[in-house]
Amino acid sequence: MENRYQRHIQLTEIGTEGQQKIQKSKVLVVGAGGLGCPALQYLTAAGVGTLGIMDADVVTASNLQRQILFNENDLGKNKAVVAQERLRQLNSEIIIKSYPFALTHENVADFINLFEIIIDGTDNFYTRYLINDQCILSQKVMIYGALFKFEGQVSVFNHKDGPSYRCLFPSPPKVGEIPNCSEVGVLGVVPGIIGTYQATEALKIILGFEDVLSGKLLCVNLLNHSNTLFNFEKRDTEIKKIKKLKRVIPIENKDCFVDFEVSLTQLSSNEKIMWIDVREKDEAPRITHLEIQEYPLSRSITSNSIVQGEAKIIAFCQTGLRSKAFVQKMKNKGIKNCFSLKEGASELNDWGRKI
Amino acid sequence: MKIKVRYFGQIKEITGKSDEYLVEQFETVQSLKSFLKKRYPELNALNFKIAQDNKIDEDSSHLHGTLIDLLPPFSGG
Repeated sequence: MENRYQRHIQLTEIGTEGQQKIQKSKVLVVGAGGLGCPALQYLTAAGVGTLGIMDADVVTASNLQRQILFNENDLGKNKAVVAQERLRQLNSEIIIKSYPFALTHENVADFINLFEIIIDGTDNFYTRYLINDQCILSQKVMIYGALFKFEGQVSVFNHKDGPSYRCLFPSPPKVGEIPNCSEVGVLGVVPGIIGTYQATEALKIILGFEDVLSGKLLCVNLLNHSNTLFNFEKRDTEIKKIKKLKRVIPIENKDCFVDFEVSLTQLSSNEKIMWIDVREKDEAPRITHLEIQEYPLSRSITSNSIVQGEAKIIAFCQTGLRSKAFVQKMKNKGIKNCFSLKEGASELNDWGRKI
Repeated sequence: MKIKVRYFGQIKEITGKSDEYLVEQFETVQSLKSFLKKRYPELNALNFKIAQDNKIDEDSSHLHGTLIDLLPPFSGG
């Protein structure tokens, strides 16, 4: 059979040796959305040896306009899992791992340490700063991409001790400062182009090419065909801050951050919450001081049986396992603002008594 | 000396234009920033960087460029 990487090998800049570098490389793509989909496709096709895909979210109809790995049969399924299945059909010779959950300050070190290059395909600042900080601590390269309507930004951070995202934007935006993913439209091909730029930079770094977007911010405007390249410098104070602390600094703005789990410690007593008990009706303890709705996981629920209001919906069980499954079910039915309680019923009961 | 100021992302929506020329004189990046924030008050609520002649610069830097760009962070993915 003809070598599938023949067109790479033919390039004197790559050759057999370069192709082997690609096949030994390890890349993690955080966010299998508009940016992640095209990046993943090209990296899979190129033969990146180990590819990780992380995304907690499920495919919804409005994703299909730009997230080109998914089709109508995938609605409601986890993006990382579907992406993995699709990409396996494209290249069965590489290792593809799916992580169907969110990157958090607790797990960020574990996953970033498994890879060499991290592609930032997220749509929120919370995850972006987490990736940035951990890449500084673990000495990994971060490839940044982000969008606004018809425009995109691309850069490479922490490459050979180069500048980081915090060197470019030291202070994270406050909630509502930058319009979030669901408020702004985007021309479907824009993430396609930016995500492809990210894959390009990843391959160049793997191949050891000199001229990568380190210390440079590329701004692409698809409406007026302008590509502008900006230089920026490393800010040692920003990098030292992270290194001295030896851990990531989670930012306060969690806009658009998709995490299914919530802990009692994160909740305030005046928050509007609709509590859902997904245990069977005979399980103890029953919750005494809070208003509870009962939807045992064993029974099927119709999508209109839970009316979504302003309140945050939080499901709980004994350990936090069944409640996670319930939240997944809710997401599949298009119900947003639904979370799974990390703690169990007895902790909730104590919490309810105190407030 | 006339300077050209270009607006990116949502800054373009705040100013209602993609670029404009300014004839005023500015000592520093900060003084230009203050001038623009007065002209477009919505910029006060926004964190953005200024580049002069394609180099992203500190607020305290002397303003010497003739091409100025206002760059907000983007969030979408």
